[in-house]
Amino acid sequence: MAGSLLHWMRGRCDEESATPRTLEWIGCNDAGEAIARVVRLQGPLETGWRRYQAVALDAEARLIQLRLPPPEGGDWLAYVGGRVVGRASLPLQAVRTAEAALRGRFRS
Amino acid sequence: MPGTPLEKIRNIGITAHIDAGKTTTTERILYYTGVSHKIGEVHEGTTTTDYMEQERERGITITSAAVTCEWKGHRINIIDTPGHIDFNIEVNRSLRVLDGAIFIIEGVAGVQPQSETNWRLADRYNVPRIVFINKLDRVGADFFRAVESLREKLGIVPLPIQLPIGIEDRFQGVVDLVEMKAVIWEGGELGAKYHDAPIPEDLLEQAKEYRQLLLDTALSVDDAAMEEYFEHGDVSVATLKRCIKAGTLSGAFRPVLCGSAFKNKGVQPLLDAVVDYLPSPVDIPGIKVAAEEGEDEHAERRRIPADPNGPFAGLAFKIINDKYGSLTFVRVYRGTARTGDMLLNTTRGHKERIGRMFQMHADKRQEIKEVSAGDIVAFVGLKDTRTGDTLAAQEDPVVLERMAFPVPVIDISVEPKTKDSVEKMTIGLQKLAAEDPSLQLRTDPETGQTILSGMGELHLEIIIDRLKREYGVEANIGAPQVAYRETITRAHTETYTHKKQTGGAGQFAEVKITFEPLERNSGIVFENQVVGGAVPKEYVPAVEKGIRAQAETGVLAGFPTVDFKATLIDGKYHDVDSSALAFEIAAKACFREGMKKAGPIILEPIMDVEITTPQDHVGDVVGDLNRRRGMIQSQESAGSTVIIRAHVPLKEMFGYISDLRSMTKGRASFTMQFHHYDPVPRNIADEIMAKTA
Repeated sequence: MAGSLLHWMRGRCDEESATPRTLEWIGCNDAGEAIARVVRLQGPLETGWRRYQAVALDAEARLIQLRLPPPEGGDWLAYVGGRVVGRASLPLQAVRTAEAALRGRFRS
Repeated sequence: MPGTPLEKIRNIGITAHIDAGKTTTTERILYYTGVSHKIGEVHEGTTTTDYMEQERERGITITSAAVTCEWKGHRINIIDTPGHIDFNIEVNRSLRVLDGAIFIIEGVAGVQPQSETNWRLADRYNVPRIVFINKLDRVGADFFRAVESLREKLGIVPLPIQLPIGIEDRFQGVVDLVEMKAVIWEGGELGAKYHDAPIPEDLLEQAKEYRQLLLDTALSVDDAAMEEYFEHGDVSVATLKRCIKAGTLSGAFRPVLCGSAFKNKGVQPLLDAVVDYLPSPVDIPGIKVAAEEGEDEHAERRRIPADPNGPFAGLAFKIINDKYGSLTFVRVYRGTARTGDMLLNTTRGHKERIGRMFQMHADKRQEIKEVSAGDIVAFVGLKDTRTGDTLAAQEDPVVLERMAFPVPVIDISVEPKTKDSVEKMTIGLQKLAAEDPSLQLRTDPETGQTILSGMGELHLEIIIDRLKREYGVEANIGAPQVAYRETITRAHTETYTHKKQTGGAGQFAEVKITFEPLERNSGIVFENQVVGGAVPKEYVPAVEKGIRAQAETGVLAGFPTVDFKATLIDGKYHDVDSSALAFEIAAKACFREGMKKAGPIILEPIMDVEITTPQDHVGDVVGDLNRRRGMIQSQESAGSTVIIRAHVPLKEMFGYISDLRSMTKGRASFTMQFHHYDPVPRNIADEIMAKTA
């Protein structure tokens, strides 16, 4: 990606769907360390007494965020260093959100 | 182009609201693909696809016409469909057999009611589609507002792949966001000349913004394309086109193009988009076979892949009768057939021989000897094949998924002006009804009158006109009547014993039937739950026949009874005196008695009405709608006009156009289409029953 701070690569995949789709894109620095992630919200998830429509999981499939209703226009979650920095309806937009957050951090 | 490989065939439809420019666009396509050497115009009555006399006189499309053209090594079979809601059956059956569609949206009005109806139909048949925002040369045209109306009214993700350069009388061309270039037409006459150019400076920022949106949206359907983008900062044109096609096929988004067909701008890129983004027969999952009796209509079922070497399978989707005989239009899904071949009509269970076959070009025809998967052709010589029937090879006698037809909402009585024309009229009407499944023909059992039921006043007017022109029968017609229906509101179980002893063999049958209400549009469902042979199996069909026959005449006012379930739960028979006829009579009587106790009501058709009126007449129009028992659904401003949407009973809409004109000094217009059936209020039900008593 032109002017990109990170190298983005595929993370986890949804193996269960007929056409496996990437659920997570990982942004690495030049040293290959994962700096940022964009993750597709999934669901529903039953937690015994509640049903969550949207769920975001990290690289180890640990829960990052639970939401009751599916967020409008926010199917992808961008997070940097374990902190959610924004949402977007499309993965490329989420990648730009993550990069913008990183740029902001570097500037400050 | 006989022998065109399947992947180079496109079977597409062109559809839209009335007057959005479907036929004009089709004419330009035929001109630029070299099929016709002059452009026909709707307002001059010289178009190729509007070939019927009534179409040319009225400047509207009534029947869908099939034409074939060639573009960049691809064969494109196009069906141009009517825009008027009264002829919606044509859109319905065309979308059923097409692989893709161009939806034309008017650049001034945006999405209009008929566009919405057709869009939902295309959803039902999972037709991939691209959108063409037309008439950008018109005063008030706004590309971005039209795109927004796609999002708002259709709930889709519109994806502009072009932007207009200029608007209204300054509309000159488009920005191609895929290749990031401008396409400029030199004048608006025949527009044959156009050239590529750099994107104008003043549009560059906007083009970059929309190109980013295009990449964000299109690449999200393809992980490999995303990787290409991350690696190179952009993707190749081929990759982007592949992604746009994938998203178009899956419905993830809908590509939006723009132009002015009348001013000859935007048509060639539209043809490129058909080739690039709409599917060939092999790009889409094969057609589903029909659900077995009792099977869930929505369940996943076997699909028939497009394969010219497999056993033949085709769907008859249209029948027309002309001076040469009956033509049956067939979409071939699998296999190859030749003139003289014998096929099985698997819907009706009999054999049919193909006499001759034609490639149709509107009303002109070219004889061919062979058809293969992917083709749309007309067969001659089929004896009893109707719209929606499957024709298949005997080695794999599949029945393809059936077609759904709209419900007629208006009745008129019709009788010939001279007594000696009775037979001619009956034959003519039967042939017209065989062509048009949205037209129904019946005889009123009480008055003996012939009743025609159709989709609207215009639909029936055209039928009567065709009866005169094509069959030489002049007919008197009664005032249009609302096609009321009856139904029930609660469950009731009724037992009826039919017993007759008049010397010799008697008649005996007893049935116990539960009648239950069903959801709207469920029709009539019959179920047999008799156990232990209380009603022998051979008599059960007679019970069903009796109920269905009696349901034609409802218990309140004689209107057809619909949306109920009848379950035969018990009965009695006699070894000697029982017969199918006795059970049919018992079922009819049981229906008459049972329905009266099941809370019968009368239903009336409610229309979705959209009125476009100048601001200063809104009060009058809304007040008038209220007097007509209308329920206002929405009211929105579009410049100096207001668009009012309301649900109004059809009964109150007869002759509305003249009232609307006088109320607004001819400045307002309206369209309407059937929306649903609702119970009529008590006082009106009493009026209806008093009239029919």
